[in-house]
Amino acid sequence: MTSAAATIPWDELIEHDRVHGSLYTDPDVYAAELERIWYRTWVYVGHVSEVPEPNDYVLKSIGPQPVIMSRDKQGEIHLLLNRCTHRANLVCDAPKGNSSAFRCPYHGWTFSNTGKLLGYPFNSGYAGTALKSELGLGRVPRVASYQGFVFGSFAEDGPTLEEHLGAATDAFDRLVRLSPTGEVELTAGWLQHKCKANWKMLLENETDGYHPQFVHSSIFSVAASGIGDLYGEKSTAVCRDLGNGHTENDLRPEFRRLDQPLGWFGTDPAKVPDYVDQLTAVHGERTREILVDGSPHVMVFPNLFIAEIQLFVIQPTAVDETVQHVTAVQYRGAPDMNRRMLQQTIGSVGPAGFLLADDSEMYERNQRGVQARNPEWLQIKRGTHRERQDENGFTVGDATDEVPQRAIWKHYRSLMEA
Amino acid sequence: MADEVGELSSEFASVRVRIDTDGNGPRLRVEDLRTGHVGFLDPLELETLAWLPEGGLHKLLDPSLHRWRAEDQER
Amino acid sequence: MHGATPALDLDLLREVEQFVYREARYQDELQYDAWESLWTDDGVYWVPANGGDTDPTKQVSIMFDNRARIATRIKQLHTGKRHSQTPPSQLRRLVSNVELLPPPEGATFGPAGDVYAGANFLVYESRERGVTLWAGRSEYALRTTDDGLRMAFKKVTLVDSDRPLYTLAFLI
Ligand code: FES
Ligand SMILES: [Fe+2]
Repeated sequence: MTSAAATIPWDELIEHDRVHGSLYTDPDVYAAELERIWYRTWVYVGHVSEVPEPNDYVLKSIGPQPVIMSRDKQGEIHLLLNRCTHRANLVCDAPKGNSSAFRCPYHGWTFSNTGKLLGYPFNSGYAGTALKSELGLGRVPRVASYQGFVFGSFAEDGPTLEEHLGAATDAFDRLVRLSPTGEVELTAGWLQHKCKANWKMLLENETDGYHPQFVHSSIFSVAASGIGDLYGEKSTAVCRDLGNGHTENDLRPEFRRLDQPLGWFGTDPAKVPDYVDQLTAVHGERTREILVDGSPHVMVFPNLFIAEIQLFVIQPTAVDETVQHVTAVQYRGAPDMNRRMLQQTIGSVGPAGFLLADDSEMYERNQRGVQARNPEWLQIKRGTHRERQDENGFTVGDATDEVPQRAIWKHYRSLMEA
Repeated sequence: MADEVGELSSEFASVRVRIDTDGNGPRLRVEDLRTGHVGFLDPLELETLAWLPEGGLHKLLDPSLHRWRAEDQER
Repeated sequence: MHGATPALDLDLLREVEQFVYREARYQDELQYDAWESLWTDDGVYWVPANGGDTDPTKQVSIMFDNRARIATRIKQLHTGKRHSQTPPSQLRRLVSNVELLPPPEGATFGPAGDVYAGANFLVYESRERGVTLWAGRSEYALRTTDDGLRMAFKKVTLVDSDRPLYTLAFLI
């Protein structure tokens, strides 16, 4: 099989400050992305809290491929492909369950939750048992987690998860630091929001600081919200290239200037006294600073968006169709804060959300717009003249600049040309 | 969370059985009342037990199979 | 209350039917203020995700609006800059199987009414993206007021509530 990626002239489609429209519409580009990104690099799959007990499993995905995330009796987490090794039926159907073994409904082949083929009905038909050792479930060969977030890579070798995450590990650390137990739980269930747009429209929008005042002006104008100002021309917030395609809107400069604990969440400590007490018991004097700084807004390439109190998972299902999965972050052991994060999440995101419905409309309008072939290019040059290095050597730009989009495409190109 | 099903005793063993719902699906929680040791059985495992032929568990009843197993013993 | 034999209270049934048809027309014809006036002051509007029997205080929902949030939703639509409804979806819905129901048992996650009813619906939504069909069931806790029936609680369970959904920015 010839590689789809090898036949595409990436250098002619991706420049430093503009990208070609066909990258969002060409089925060959999509096929190449599956090969070089989704089925090779580290991709976020699920969280350990979704399989809390031995023998728990949940259905997940890596791009369009159905994956079972299981926890075996010993507690180890496996990513198995949800495809019977006999004649390719789905082995599991329920979105989650508890079972030490999976039995395919088509002809009854039965697999352990570690992927081993345990047996099949009427076994004389196979003259011997060699099959059992050969036909275990397909698996994602590399599984690793960071702060409970489980990633899979179809590449047998390559960078470790921590090498891949690089500077983005800090986003996970900052996220779990806000939990009094140091752990987050993804136990609030998922909304699945579908749109007719290429997945990169979503990826680029997650850390786009230029759009909120336009796309979200309707909600900013009717509900008291300070979000709009964070992404204004006067904002001291910055956008950052964290390397490896990971990008950030770092709002901390604004939050520090405003100096209000929990201001980032639109509340104050008096409203969640139990939570603040619990956090103070852990962090002491540093609590105030932690509560002022707030939660990260970081897009982990290619599919996990840590959006303060929500987690989004981008799943491409076709060149022009994407499902965005979203849930509320829950801090283990902080019920008062969790209730608020859940209700704010329900209001903001998902198919009917005050914010995300409008982002999604933009993705679809983008996808229709890019069908027009003149101009051929999308511009991502905003702020090129003022981008700079921060004290850690990362490229940063002003709040509304397109440093993140350039960072994404630079990394994308390196993967596609690899 | 666990719903009590009941306690069963013979002269050889005493167990308490509950339906446990802490995981992503229900499991039968079996507690050995003499030692406090707890094991779980999921629906597919239980169905398998229901279909075991007469004596099908006898291999597992060998005391040296797991619980009273010598360190150097072969499986 | 409508007594021990609700199925025979034809006047009440007729009143409820007229109410849900009117609500449907306000929704289809984007009469946002008229629709909002159908709510009681403590109204709750719930569209569960992942089946109809989740706990919206612990699990995500597609919508779980208290009265203040219903008002915000309407204000947002009125700005004309709610992009997911600019231009608005073109809508027509059929509402059917209207039934008077006994008061629900157990937690409902919304305020009580004095009349309970259920109805099935099928919404035909046309947008630039294409046509989307939304099927489901509405359950109402209604209150009798001097101005006629009002909604204290409306729960909308979509047939597809556990599947990936396109944007749902019109009133369902
Ligand atoms: S396809 Fe699974 S047993 Fe035949
Ligand atoms: Fe947005």
